[in-house]
Amino acid sequence: MSRTPTLSRRTLLRGMGALMALPLLDVMRPNTARAAPPAPRRFVAFYTPCGIHMPKWTPDDEGANYSLTPTLASLAPVKSDLLVLSGLNNLPGKPDGDGHHAAATSAFLSCVKARKTEGTNIHTGISMDQVLANAVGKATRFPSLELGIDQGKGIGNCDSGYACPYANNIAWAGPSSPVPKETKPRAAFERLFADFDPGATQAELAKRKAYGLSIIDAVRDDAKALQSKLGATDQHKLDEYFTGVRELELRVNAMDGAGPTCGAVTEPADTVDVREKTKAMLDLIVLAFQCDLTRTCTFMLGNARSERVYSFLGLTGEHHAYSHHQRAQANYDALAKIDKWEVEQFSYLLQRMKGVQEVNGTLLDHTAAYFSSEIADGNMHEHKNLPILLAGRAGGALAPGRHIRFGGQPLANLYIALLNMFGVPTTTFGDDGTGSLSGLGA
Amino acid sequence: MHDVRASGWRWRRRSLAAAAVLLAVGCNGSPPKARVLPGPDAPDNTPVDPQDAQCREAARDPGRVTLHRLNRAEYNNTVRDLLGDTSSPASDFPPDDHGFGFDNNADVLSMSPLLMEKYSRAAEVLVDAAWARGAFNTCALDPAQPEACAKELLKTFVRRAWRRPVTPEEVERLAAFVTLARQHGDTPEVGVKLALRSALVSPHFLFRVELDPAPTSLAPHPVSDLELASRLSYFLWSSMPDEALLQAAEGGHLHEPEVLEAQVRRMLVDPKARALVDNFAGQWLYTRALDFSQPESRYGFDEPLRAAMRQEMQLVFQEFITGDHRIEDLLDAPFTYVNDRLATHYGMPRPGTSAMTRVELKDHPERAGLFGKGALLTVTANPDRTSPVKRGVWVLEQLLCKGPPPPPPDAGGLAPAVDPTLNIKARMAQHRANPSCAGCHTLMDPLGFGLENFDPVGRWRTKEEGGATVDPSGELPGGKSFNGVVEMREVVKQDPDLSACMTRHLLTYALGRGAEDQDRCTVRDISQQAESQGGRLTDYILAIVRSDAFLRRHGEAEAPKP
Repeated sequence: MSRTPTLSRRTLLRGMGALMALPLLDVMRPNTARAAPPAPRRFVAFYTPCGIHMPKWTPDDEGANYSLTPTLASLAPVKSDLLVLSGLNNLPGKPDGDGHHAAATSAFLSCVKARKTEGTNIHTGISMDQVLANAVGKATRFPSLELGIDQGKGIGNCDSGYACPYANNIAWAGPSSPVPKETKPRAAFERLFADFDPGATQAELAKRKAYGLSIIDAVRDDAKALQSKLGATDQHKLDEYFTGVRELELRVNAMDGAGPTCGAVTEPADTVDVREKTKAMLDLIVLAFQCDLTRTCTFMLGNARSERVYSFLGLTGEHHAYSHHQRAQANYDALAKIDKWEVEQFSYLLQRMKGVQEVNGTLLDHTAAYFSSEIADGNMHEHKNLPILLAGRAGGALAPGRHIRFGGQPLANLYIALLNMFGVPTTTFGDDGTGSLSGLGA
Repeated sequence: MHDVRASGWRWRRRSLAAAAVLLAVGCNGSPPKARVLPGPDAPDNTPVDPQDAQCREAARDPGRVTLHRLNRAEYNNTVRDLLGDTSSPASDFPPDDHGFGFDNNADVLSMSPLLMEKYSRAAEVLVDAAWARGAFNTCALDPAQPEACAKELLKTFVRRAWRRPVTPEEVERLAAFVTLARQHGDTPEVGVKLALRSALVSPHFLFRVELDPAPTSLAPHPVSDLELASRLSYFLWSSMPDEALLQAAEGGHLHEPEVLEAQVRRMLVDPKARALVDNFAGQWLYTRALDFSQPESRYGFDEPLRAAMRQEMQLVFQEFITGDHRIEDLLDAPFTYVNDRLATHYGMPRPGTSAMTRVELKDHPERAGLFGKGALLTVTANPDRTSPVKRGVWVLEQLLCKGPPPPPPDAGGLAPAVDPTLNIKARMAQHRANPSCAGCHTLMDPLGFGLENFDPVGRWRTKEEGGATVDPSGELPGGKSFNGVVEMREVVKQDPDLSACMTRHLLTYALGRGAEDQDRCTVRDISQQAESQGGRLTDYILAIVRSDAFLRRHGEAEAPKP
């Protein structure tokens, strides 16, 4: 009788009231002959849709003595860990004609102009998180983790002739391969922790791996036999399949029994309440970093042109409708409420990370946490002077605690700087990246 | 409606030059002059030939459908029909993106590591559950001599899973899992299960594979009968072919017109054709979006009402699949389905039950057809007020394929009313004072004004919430005017573009690819043929199934990879 790791673990969790020690991976098990290695650097991108009402966002003063604005007020506990970055532009996010939300969302981390299409030949660029995952992802069980809140309505066209993948994905493995996100906390949890089976013997594990790998070999052969018979677009679909198979193989190889602790964990319940769901997802990000299951993560608080109704903030209209404020005070007020709530979520994430102690500092000290929206002002669909926060010290590469005003440099240059911090020696990125943005370090 | 062929064929994917021309066509306030879409080399301002000469000469380009990954609905239905498993495992998969309005668009259905993990896990759970249910009891796996039975099991199952006969080599390779299990000291059952899992993670299962004799040739060729069987079953059932269809394909007769028609008619009366309601109509008519509507609490919208609205739309459309209605009668069909809750909501007599009941609408003409349906009226409203623009755009895009050009930057929704004594129509008049808005809003708004007697959750009203009297009259570019929903829907029903537009949406769904410029004549053919046969949904489906676009395909010219 073979037992599935999922079941045994799930039963175990339920049976124990879900507080338990988690195993540790081979890859993070320090070589006992050496001292503990320095904590790895992590990157998380936090996307929020429909822009930000900038007058209540941007601090007046620059440098270390700036004051948090009403929208940023909840960041007070982590102000010393925070960079507010003004004056960066992401011009590749500009669409042909209309379609600002989708075009700018696909360019959010790729800085590449999306090809205008409702579906045929979608084309943008590889996103910065995926470049990072390609560089550092092999060290962990998951090269990267994509999480979000909304599934999307699944009707109509997503944004003025721009296909829905542009609107619903910020992570792109390649120009036409979006990396979809997990939007159910429980499913995300299962994925992170399903392959541990504290009850399995080494022999059982070895057999399970052998079986898993033999299935992978078989389906890979199937795909290889197909490959030569297909045209270019179909081959590309098959390439995505091969990538999936390759990652599945890594997952099977990493199957493990019990290991030392990396944190106490509660399996989240599935909920439709956006507040609970967001908190659950952010907790999972912290946990995934803490257990070194991944070092790169993206999170979408909503999809482009989000029509969420923030009834718990006392609002009755849709976010996207408010963002077209037409300079009406009532809409400004509504947007400020939404913005403030969004920043509170980011602040929660930062404070959770600050509470995790690692070798030589906190998890936040070893992280670069990036927050922004695809546009600045929602009425004008402004792609300049984007609302950007960058928190943490990235293992010493960032010197936070300041408001920096740039003079219209490309956002891509910030990504080049971040990639450099993670050891990716690139000097160009996206459509308009020209070199590393300076002034972020000490 | 102004009769503009060009704007009726305004594809969103177009060059800037074309866009500029169309802007002039669609939205300049004065009755537009008809033009054709200029091709890359065509001079501007080519006058249109009303007979559409192009379509009379050229052979039809059937196009190409990209390797089609099963979407979530297709996966769930396929494992239901393959294994009898009704657990809908794909509900836990990441949502499918959609293109051209549908989530079965092969181009945007991508594969990802996350999805592969889900497939792998689902396969294991599905196989174990099916085994426990005795789904594979056809022969006994003798531990000493399991090969014969194992091969029999695998051959039978994989033919259905991969929707084609399996080769002896493929059976051999799958049977090798039995040997592998034995080497690890496990029973043959363990080996067969491994083989079944691998069949369910194979690209042959996860993708609908169609092969070209020459992958880089643009010469059209018929799809094979087996490929055709899958095209049919995924179009009409969102699922795998059943035994009868598979056998018709294996016998090599499926492409014969009378066999094809008999299969289509058989399949449409099968309960599985319900997939057309859920997946085609659910997306075309926006019913799916009802799941996400969050009307303001003062409208008393709740889950029983949401469910009743959804069912009303589904039941009405279901009648169009099997019944004798013309598809254009969707606009004013004089019947609907209500239960007590929905009837009260609509201000109609209650049927006296919580079950959805068919009722005639003689005394409630405002509820006849799509525009009287709470589901549609709710999803095309804002949570806290109606939106003539959203409703107007819905009619233009989903029924007439005349989506207006996008708004200029800095255009936005309507600011909350400052003067509650003005009705929405009067307040929106300011748009038309602004020349950059006027052109399009004269096209979009009037259709929405015609629905102003319905509040944001579809209740009838004669007064707006601010107290102003509703004015449901509108005048369309070209001079057609109407007053209220009954006259408005008549105008839409008379529109010469209605049939072609419905065809375009159905064809997009049927093929799993966007209907593009080069499909213009195909759409025209299908629409004309379907109308000449009686204009029922069945006629449209048959006309599509008989078209070259459905029966044929070609490869893809080699292009330098971007």
